[in-house]
Amino acid sequence: MAEVESLSHSGICVHDLKQAEDFYCKILGAEVYSRVNFKTQDALKGRSVHTSLQLEDYLFAIMLTEDFMDLPPAGQLHGANRTRHGFAVPRDRFSTVMAALADNEVAFEGPVDHPEAGPFGQSIYFKDPSGNFLEVLWRRDENEHYNEVLGMGHGSAKKG
Amino acid sequence: MTELVAKHISHIVVEVADLERAQEFYGDLLGFTGAAEGWPDCTSRHLVFGAASGQSLILAETKAPRAFPDSGVHQAYRAGATDIAAICSRLKGAGVEIFTYKEDRPAEEGDNLYVHDPDGNRIQLVADGGHGKAGVVRGIDHAAVMATDLEWEEDFYVDVLGLEVEFRLGWNTADYVRAQLWAEGKEDMAPGTRRWDERYRDIPGRKPSDGRRVARPNSHFFVIFGQSVLGVFLANRFDQEPPEEILVGTPRIAFEADEAGLDAAARLLEDRGRRFHGPVSHDAGAPVARSLYFKDPCGNFLELTHGH
Repeated sequence: MAEVESLSHSGICVHDLKQAEDFYCKILGAEVYSRVNFKTQDALKGRSVHTSLQLEDYLFAIMLTEDFMDLPPAGQLHGANRTRHGFAVPRDRFSTVMAALADNEVAFEGPVDHPEAGPFGQSIYFKDPSGNFLEVLWRRDENEHYNEVLGMGHGSAKKG
Repeated sequence: MTELVAKHISHIVVEVADLERAQEFYGDLLGFTGAAEGWPDCTSRHLVFGAASGQSLILAETKAPRAFPDSGVHQAYRAGATDIAAICSRLKGAGVEIFTYKEDRPAEEGDNLYVHDPDGNRIQLVADGGHGKAGVVRGIDHAAVMATDLEWEEDFYVDVLGLEVEFRLGWNTADYVRAQLWAEGKEDMAPGTRRWDERYRDIPGRKPSDGRRVARPNSHFFVIFGQSVLGVFLANRFDQEPPEEILVGTPRIAFEADEAGLDAAARLLEDRGRRFHGPVSHDAGAPVARSLYFKDPCGNFLELTHGH
């Protein structure tokens, strides 16, 4: 069995790259790391059209689809049509995220309380302009420092 | 964002191989008037034409004109609808082929007549809403250049020159879906607005035997300033750029600015570490008083100028 170690990056498919850049950068605070297919050298290689964004220490790409995707119902804010990205923020910045969404008229569901025994505190659920489900949460264990991924005690995952 | 310094296109310099042949095309067929010599920074044979707008077209003679007819590079001239009909009649009579293309930019949906001058410079005729009786072009509506890096270009035209992006192509799924119509022969689009890409790996969902070729919009954007716009189209090949130290050259697009705008632009270029020449003061009899010469990040010659 192959043993992958961690999530390196992810991709989010969008219908409008500029609109998506504005959403992730101006509302959620990401920064543009690089853009692909606005240079001749990219066109000559036939590369896909995407922008790599960095949100704190996480790298993800917003990728322009060359065909339209199915969108979830407009009123549905919580789900996983393709994937759902969940971004963590410190608890003391959680309300700032809600305020930023409200200021930009982005509808969200929550905050939803998670069970106290678990690591998650509260989550809000919303969508980007292309209908991708997103979540922002704070974690009860945000002050813990993890040096390794711990085995879950089942399956074939190695135990420390 | 800097203060807006460019007001409109003052003049453009187009390269041609045969000045007399070009004079017949631009003068007799398009209706530019007042052919004369004596543009202050032209060192080769050239002719200066005027238009009712006060803008100028300078034809500069060179052995191998850089016209880029298969790219998005073009010059658009403005005229009344009846003027355009008269111009087209003369062009057809002279055996010049007229092309009609669909447009991406909403403002140009009805302005889809194109011709090539004898040297391959692509010319668009834009209806300005008027109905002239003279059957001549009245001014320069817009111009377009090509560039190998649209990010550099947008940063330069927006943040340095203070222009505003009016239209972008290539950022939306809808642009890619529409490119399929062109691929299927259902939409005839202007050169430089669509392209075939050869993907470097197999395309998901497609059998490898079906190939890696895909139709795509060729990304470009337009910046707007005053009554003029400038298009910047992604180049689909690498051409030799002029040497870095050459700052006055052709083909060139010149923007009108007020006198203080030239000095402000020079300071901005200096702050950005970009090379420029001038502002240069011309002789009292010259059609422009001062000029600032520079290039955009992809080597297109530009000029900011201030009239007498």
